[in-house]
Parts: sequence; structure tokens; C-alpha cells
Amino acid sequence: MEKRIKYGILLTAIFTLLLFLWWMFHDPTNKFAESIPGEDKKGTDSLKVGPPVNIGENFQVFNTETSGLKGTWTRFRGADFDNIVKNSVPLKNSWSGNEPEIKWSVDLGEGHAGPAIYEGKVYVMDYDEATRSDALRCFSLEGGKELWRRSYKVSLKRNHGMSRTVPAVNAEYVLTMGPRCHVMCVRRETGDLVWGLDLVQKYKTEVPLWFTGQCPMIDGNKAILAPGGSSVMIAVELSTGKVLWETPNPGGIKMSHSSIMPWTLNGKKMYVYSAVGAVLGISAEGADEGKILWKSTAWNHAVVAPAPVCFPDGKIFLTAGYGAGSMVIKISPSGVEYKVEVLKQYLPKDGMACEQQTPVIFDGMMFAIEPKDAGPLRNQLICVNPDDVNKVVWTSGKESRFGLGPYLIADKKMFLLNDEGTLTMIKPDGKKYIQLAQKKLFDGQDAWAPMAIADGRLLLRDSKKMYCVNIKQ
Amino acid sequence: MSDKNEPKSMERRRFIRTGMQSVLAVSLGGIAGVSLLKSTSKKLVWQLDPFKCVQCGRCATECVMTPSAVKCVHSFNLCGYCDLCGGYLKPDANARSTAAENQLCPTAAIKRQYIEDPYFEYVIDEKLCIGCAKCVAGCTSFGNGSLHLQVRHDRCENCNECAIARVCPSEAFLRVPVDTPYMIKGGFTKGGTSKDQLKKG
Repeated sequence: MEKRIKYGILLTAIFTLLLFLWWMFHDPTNKFAESIPGEDKKGTDSLKVGPPVNIGENFQVFNTETSGLKGTWTRFRGADFDNIVKNSVPLKNSWSGNEPEIKWSVDLGEGHAGPAIYEGKVYVMDYDEATRSDALRCFSLEGGKELWRRSYKVSLKRNHGMSRTVPAVNAEYVLTMGPRCHVMCVRRETGDLVWGLDLVQKYKTEVPLWFTGQCPMIDGNKAILAPGGSSVMIAVELSTGKVLWETPNPGGIKMSHSSIMPWTLNGKKMYVYSAVGAVLGISAEGADEGKILWKSTAWNHAVVAPAPVCFPDGKIFLTAGYGAGSMVIKISPSGVEYKVEVLKQYLPKDGMACEQQTPVIFDGMMFAIEPKDAGPLRNQLICVNPDDVNKVVWTSGKESRFGLGPYLIADKKMFLLNDEGTLTMIKPDGKKYIQLAQKKLFDGQDAWAPMAIADGRLLLRDSKKMYCVNIKQ
Repeated sequence: MSDKNEPKSMERRRFIRTGMQSVLAVSLGGIAGVSLLKSTSKKLVWQLDPFKCVQCGRCATECVMTPSAVKCVHSFNLCGYCDLCGGYLKPDANARSTAAENQLCPTAAIKRQYIEDPYFEYVIDEKLCIGCAKCVAGCTSFGNGSLHLQVRHDRCENCNECAIARVCPSEAFLRVPVDTPYMIKGGFTKGGTSKDQLKKG
């Protein structure tokens, strides 16, 4: 009996020992494969600088036309950079039957570039796949006829569309930026080339994912551009193409899809740019023009499309898609310098956020369409008080979602276009969602381009076609 | 009095008898018809409608199979082939690379391959996929929605009561004919599934 017990104990001990040894020496992860950088065998051809591009080399005239129209939509987000028309002609309060009427439409290359309007003429930066050319196309606002086209050869591959920038226009010039960061300035009336600038060649700009989204800015007689690369921002004289100042870029800030916004804080005019790597303010006047006044790397996301929304009290609302969410910072003058304070940072589901478009401020309230990763609020229009961007005052509801489409305000009405071409008119009310009218205008796809409006004509587009819609009373 | 009532009573009895016989005949005929229909109808299998799927993650945890019979599939004709892929990379990843810390998939089941500037291809390794739908959520939120879940019928036990269908919050699970067992996304249609989206496996 004792022997049996001894053998039993011995066998148990041996078994336990073997088990222990197996446990010690067995590697349960021996079949795991490491995931290390470079497994995708990413090429370096994206870093190559292509052959020199002869910016503005080609010009075609198709029609001539004079117009009595005087309305303008001079750039991305309009004259005051706020997406609001201040002195609009009266617009219809509701639509019935075939209203609003599509006056004309034109085919465009695949893209999301919005138009600018100046006294009866429409300017669109397009890409012509047939001739492989960037093309600034001028149309008649009244009839949609193409008047002239200034183009240059540049090789692109479709990447969620090609062109995606809005030209800037004043009485004399039109300023454009192409998908591969080619800047062109032409005479507004005649289309005559004034100058061209290749930001990749000159400033080693890294072309953003899905091509350039930064809309160029005209400020007085200057073109204001944010190349990233060797200069974070530059000013170019419109009439000559002479570079007036360059802001060094020691932090390696990269060009984003966002556009430069002007801002005046405590009497100091500056340019605010939400870049990839940082948000920064650059002096726009005086002896320090072109110098960085403040910068914050707390705002640093791979893809930034919406423009910064700046408030008179020093607050700036920053937002971006692809999971980034939003941030509120406060800029305070501190002696000769500026202090940057992060007040809020949150994910899209926790408050106002945008992926592509920029919020609109109207009657003290802020309106925007939430991105797809905003949980139950996804793609809904929401309204918040800018003082508390986390508290949603109202939403358009789960039955009224708008995708990534654009929106603007004119004649105290807000117009929203969804991805597929349905135009909705609402009253931008601070207390509740009030829908005035809705119409499926066309069976579209990815209608994300910023809209433009002048003389009661609303210009909108999907990825391949631009439409002019009459919304005048 | 009795002469007048007798024929009436007979008619009522005959009427009830005939009625009962008719009801019985119809019932038996119906049962036979339904049985015949069932015996000749096509076999049905479980599938999930990718347009209804809300990427809740239950497909990975509720299936009786381990790992789940639900896997991610990729509609290459919908994919944008982006460098920054919302289905492959974590939001705000440190870099657009294949490093483990940047990948959204918990099992590294998506293989990223450079094609040519600016395109990348993403291929699912089904042996590693657990059907968690993290990539589907990323692709749906930030991309074209080309990554989506499907019940793979080489693994599915086709339970009478699907354990996932029972808890699916969006009621995306449905029975489809065995000869068209997959609902692969195609084209750019949104908001519903039409018959032509039922693809043969």
C-alpha cells in the first residue's frame, strides 16, 4: 500500500515537473508574425518631383458674352470667409412643382472643386482627363456657356477626384491652385496669364493625400499661400508674381486641405492656418508681416480639411475628420507675444465636429453637419452655442442626414446639399430645426464641393457635373 | 307542424355535415400544398445585409463557431485604394505604415500592399479574421464602405436559429436562397439591398 502511494506521488511529481517544463519552455506566440513597417513595400515614386510644368501654357476662347449681373462670390466661403451672403436678393421661401429650376449644367472632370463668381462670370478649377491638364474654366453665369479656358499639362491619377480647390477672384485677377500645388494667376476678364508658381518645385511642398484642398487667398494686392515644405506661408504680389515674404518652416509643418483664414485679434491682423502638424497665426501687417505670432502643435492630425473658425474673443474652433474630433483654443496677447491655451478637445461623438466642411456662425449660433463617426448624430445638421460646443441645442434628426455635403446662408435661409444631390432649405434658427423645402435636384454622387451663390443663382456640383439653380424670388 | 319542421331539420344537418367536410378537405389540401411547397422550395441559408450592418461587433462574439463564421470581405471595385485607409489604420495613427501599432485590425488580418503611387491594395486574410467589424466601421466612416461582413458558408453551420441573428441590433441577418448565398456590395448603391446585389457564391 505504501509502495503504491510512493509510486503515485512519484508519478504525480514527474508529471508535474514535465508540465512545468513544458509551460516554461513552450512559446505560445511562436506562430505569431511580426507586423513591422515596410511590409507594404511602399515605393518612393510619390516623393519624386515630376517634370517642370509650364503653368498656363494653353488658352482657348469659346464664346464672348457681356453680362449685366453684378453679384459676386469671390472665394472659398465668400467675400467675408463666413459662407454667408450679406446683401442677397430676395430668395424663394418655399419650392413647389419644378422649383427650384436647374437653369443649366455642365460636365466637369471628376472632382470637388467649387466655383467662384464675379459679375456674371463663373470660374472653376477643373481637371481635363482627356488632355491631362489642369484647366481654369470661365463660364457665363446666365447661360452656362464656356467663355474661355486657361490650362496646362500635368499628370494626375484619379484619387477620390482630382480638382478640389475654389479659385479666388477680384476685379482684376483670378488665382488658382491645382491638384499638384501649381498656382496660377490670370487676368479675370481676358484669361491672360500673369504668372505661375510651382510650390512643389520651389518650396518642396508635399502634395496632400487626395491632392490639394487649400483654396488660395487674395488679400489686397497679394496672393497668400501656405506651401508647407521650406516655407509655411508666403505672400506673392498679384500683378508681378514677385514673392513678397516667406515664413520659414523649422517645425516641418505640412500643407493640409484647410484654407487660410484672416483674423483680427485686439487690432492685430493675422492669417490663421490649420496645417498638418500645427495650427498657427502669422502676422498679416506691419513690420512683422509674415512672422509667426503664435503656434500650437497640440492640434496635429494627418488630414485636416475644415478651416479654423475664429471668434473676436480670442477663441478658435478647430475640427477635422478621420477620428480627429475638435479642439477649442484661446489665443491671448501676452506682452509682445501670444499665449495659446487649449480649452477643449473631444471626439466627434461628444460635440460639434466636421470632416470636410467648415461650420457657419449665424445669429450667434454655430451650425455644422456631423461626420460619420459621430455616433447617433452622424451626418445630421446640428446647432450649438459657440460658448459650449459640446452641448447640442438641436439636431436635424435621424430622418434628415446630409452626408458630407456643403452648406451656406443667404437671405436668412440655409441651403444644404447632400451627397446625392438633394437640396434642402432650412431656417437657421437657434432653437429648433425648421425645414422650409427640399428637392432632389439630380441623381449625383459625392456632391461635396463648396457651393457659390450670386444674383439668386446657386451653383452646386457633384463629382462630375456643375449645376446652376435659380432660387430667386 | 311537425311535417313542416322535419325537412328543415334535415337541411340543417346536411348543411353542417357538408360544411365540416369542406373545411376538412380545404385544411388537408392546404397542409398538403404547404408540405409540397416546402419540399420543393430552395434551401435557405443565413446571410447579413451589409447595408443594415451597424458594426456592433457581436458577429465576433455570438457565433457558435470559434472563430466566427462571419468574416470581412472586400469589394475591390468599391475601394479607393487609399494610402490613408480608414479600415486599415487606426484613427490618427502615428504613420501610414504596416507597423502593428498603426493597424486597426486586432489580428492583423488585413494585408496592405503598395501598387503604384498613390494606390494601395488591402486584402483580407480570412484565416486571421474574427469578424469583429472594426475595419468595417473604419471603412464605412472614412471610406467608400468597400470592407463589409459576410457569413462564410464554408464555415457556417447554418443553425436553425442563428445565434448572431438573435442578438443583431439592426436585424441585418436574413435567410437567402442557397444558390445566391452572398450579399456582396457592388456599385455605389446605398440605402438598401436589391435583388441584383445577391451574388452567387
